[in-house]
Amino acid sequence: MKLFSSYNSILLVISFIGLTFIGLLFYKTLSYYLDRQIDNGLIEELMEVQDFTHTKNIFPAPEVYKDLVIQYKKITKVQNNSTFADTVYYNPKKRKMEAARYLKTDISLGHKPYQVLIICSKVHRDEEIRIIGLIIGLPFLLFLTILYWVNSVLINRMWTPFRKLLLNIKSFNLNHDQSFEHIKTNIEEFRELSKAIEDLSLKVKSDYREIKLFTENAAHEMMTPLAVINSKLDTMLQSNRLGLEESETLIDLYRATSKLTKLNQSLLLLVKIDNNLMMDTEKVSVMDIVKEKQTFFNELIHNRNLKIEVYLDPVYLTVSKQLLDILINNLFSNAIRHNYDGGLINIKLTQSGLTFSNTGPDGMLKEDRIFERFYKDPASEGTGLGLAILKQICNRQNYQLSYRYINQLHIFNINFN
Amino acid sequence: MISGLILYKYLKVIIVQLLTYLQNVYNIQKYISAMKVLIIEDEVSLQKSIQQYLTAEGGTCDCSGTFESAFQKISIYDYDCILLDLTLPDGEGLELLRYLKELNKTDGVLIISARDAIDQRIEGLKLGADDYLVKPFHLSELNARVTSIVRRRNFAGSNLVVFKEIQIDLNARQVRVNDRVLYLTRKEFDLLLYFIANHGKVISKAAAAIHIWGDDADMADSFDFIYTHIKNMRKKLTDAGCHDYFHTVYGIGYKFTDS
Repeated sequence: MKLFSSYNSILLVISFIGLTFIGLLFYKTLSYYLDRQIDNGLIEELMEVQDFTHTKNIFPAPEVYKDLVIQYKKITKVQNNSTFADTVYYNPKKRKMEAARYLKTDISLGHKPYQVLIICSKVHRDEEIRIIGLIIGLPFLLFLTILYWVNSVLINRMWTPFRKLLLNIKSFNLNHDQSFEHIKTNIEEFRELSKAIEDLSLKVKSDYREIKLFTENAAHEMMTPLAVINSKLDTMLQSNRLGLEESETLIDLYRATSKLTKLNQSLLLLVKIDNNLMMDTEKVSVMDIVKEKQTFFNELIHNRNLKIEVYLDPVYLTVSKQLLDILINNLFSNAIRHNYDGGLINIKLTQSGLTFSNTGPDGMLKEDRIFERFYKDPASEGTGLGLAILKQICNRQNYQLSYRYINQLHIFNINFN
Repeated sequence: MISGLILYKYLKVIIVQLLTYLQNVYNIQKYISAMKVLIIEDEVSLQKSIQQYLTAEGGTCDCSGTFESAFQKISIYDYDCILLDLTLPDGEGLELLRYLKELNKTDGVLIISARDAIDQRIEGLKLGADDYLVKPFHLSELNARVTSIVRRRNFAGSNLVVFKEIQIDLNARQVRVNDRVLYLTRKEFDLLLYFIANHGKVISKAAAAIHIWGDDADMADSFDFIYTHIKNMRKKLTDAGCHDYFHTVYGIGYKFTDS
C-alpha cells in the first residue's frame, strides 16, 4: 500500500466517524431548537385557547387550520400539568399521516375540567432541517472532494524528490564511477535524506575502494616473498644430495607455492576487473580465440583422454581481448579440471552465446553458490576463484552467465546479448 | 644464379659445421655464455638465489639493492643484461631505464616486478626494456629469458643456438641435428630451447609446464603430461642420431646435460 493511500484511508475513516458524529449532534441540536419553537407555538396556541375561553366561555371551534389540530376532552379532575411530546397524526387536509408535536394540558371551562390536546405538524420543521442540512452538507462534500484532489496532487508533487531519490538508490552501483546524483528540493526532510544518502554512498565507495586497495597491496606484497620461496626451492633443486624424501617435500612445497601464487594472481585479477582496468575494447573474433585456446590446452585434454566436440560460428564481439581471453581460458580450464578421465567437453559458439558443457564426477552443483568467491568443491585443487572471475567478467560486459545441469552435463552458458 | 644459391647454401652448412666443431673443441659456448649480469633487487635473499643460479655456468653477477648503487654501477660498467626490480626502496626502477637510454647504452634489460600491470609493462618496454617477468618466477625461466636477451644482443641478426650437435635457427624456428632437419611441434621447440638455456640444471616439471602453458599449467594435478612431450622430443632427437642429453631426476623433473 502506498503511503498516500494508507494515509487517505485512515483520514477517510476518521472523517467519516467525525462527520457522522458532528452531523448527529447538529441534527439533534437543530431539532431540539425547532421543537422548542413548535412548543412555543403550541403554548401560544394554548394561551389563545385560554383567552378565548375566558372571554367567550366557550372553546374555540376544533377546526383544523394551519396544520394545527385542537381537541377537547372532558375529564374528571384538573391536574395541573402539561406535557409536550412527539406523535403521529392524521392530517385531514393533506389526508395523510404526518409527524407532529402535541401539547396536552388540562383547563377548566365553567368549572368543568377539560383536557386540551393541541397537535402541530412537524412537516415544516423537517423541511427546514433538510434544507439547512443540504445547505451545509453539499458545499461541505464539495469542499471535501476538492480537498482530496488537491491533497493527492500536492502529495504527488511533494513526494517527487523522494521518488527520484529512491530511483537513484536503486540504480546505485558500487562499481560504477559516477557518484550519487544530488536531488534539488525545497523540502528540508528530503534535502537531509538526500544529503545523508549522498554521504553514505561516498563512505561506502571509499570503504570499498580501500578494501580493494588493501587486497591489491596485500597480494602484491606477498609476491616478493613468494618469489624468494620459489627461487630458494629452485636452488635446492640443484643440490646433488636430494634423496627421495627430500624430493617429495620439494614437490609438495612447489605445489603449495604455486597454489598460493595462483590465488594471489586471481585476487589481483578480480580487483583489476573491478577497477575497470581492462576496458580497452576492440573487435575480436571469438571463434579464433576458442580455437587458439583449444590448441593451447590440447595436451591437457589429451592427457585426460577427454573427447571434445566443437561447433563454432564466426562471431565477432567488441570487447577487451584480454578479458575475453581470461573468460575462455577459465571456461576451458573449468571444463578440463572438473571432468573425469575419458569424459566429454562440448563447446558451442553461436551469435547469441557461448556454451561449454562437460561431464563431471559430481552431480548438480549449487547454482546460486558456485559463482561465489572461494566456494569450491572440497576435492577441488583450484583456488575457488575461477568461476567468480568468470561471473565478474560477465557482469562487466553485461553478459548473462548461467549454469544448468542436464543429462549429466554441467552446462555453462554465456549470453552475449 | 641458381648455382650461386646452391653454393651459398653449401657454404652456410660448412660454416655452421665449422663453428660447431670449433665450439666443441675450444668450448666457445662457455666463453660466450660467460655473461655479465647486474641484478638490481632490494630483496637480498632473492638477489642471492638469482646470483647463485646465473653464475653456476661461469657468468659474473653484480648486485645492488638500492637505486643509488645501481645508478653508479650502470654509469661505470657495461652489462650484457640488467635485471631490474621496479620498486626500489629509494627510487623508481623506471628512472634507471630512462637513465640508461640517456647514456645510449645497449645493455639488455629484464624487468622483474611484483606488479603485473599492463601500463607498467608497456612503459618499461617503451623505455627500452627487453622483457618483463612477473614475480614469483622460476629461476630456470629467468635464466632462459636472460639467455635469450643476451643472445639477441650479442649476435644481432644471426639467431643460431648451438648445443653440441644440435643447431637451432631461431628465425626459421628450425632444429637440425647433424645437419638433418627435425620437425618439432611449437611446444617441443620451446621446451628444447628452454632446456638448452638451462643446461646442467635440474628443471622441475612444474617450471617446464609453466614455461609452456603459463599459469594455467597447474590445472593438471600432476605435471606428468610434460613427460609425454619430453619423451616425444627425446625420441625425435635420438632418431636423428643425437646423443640423449635428457636425464630424469626422480619425481621432480629433468636435467639437460652433456656430462
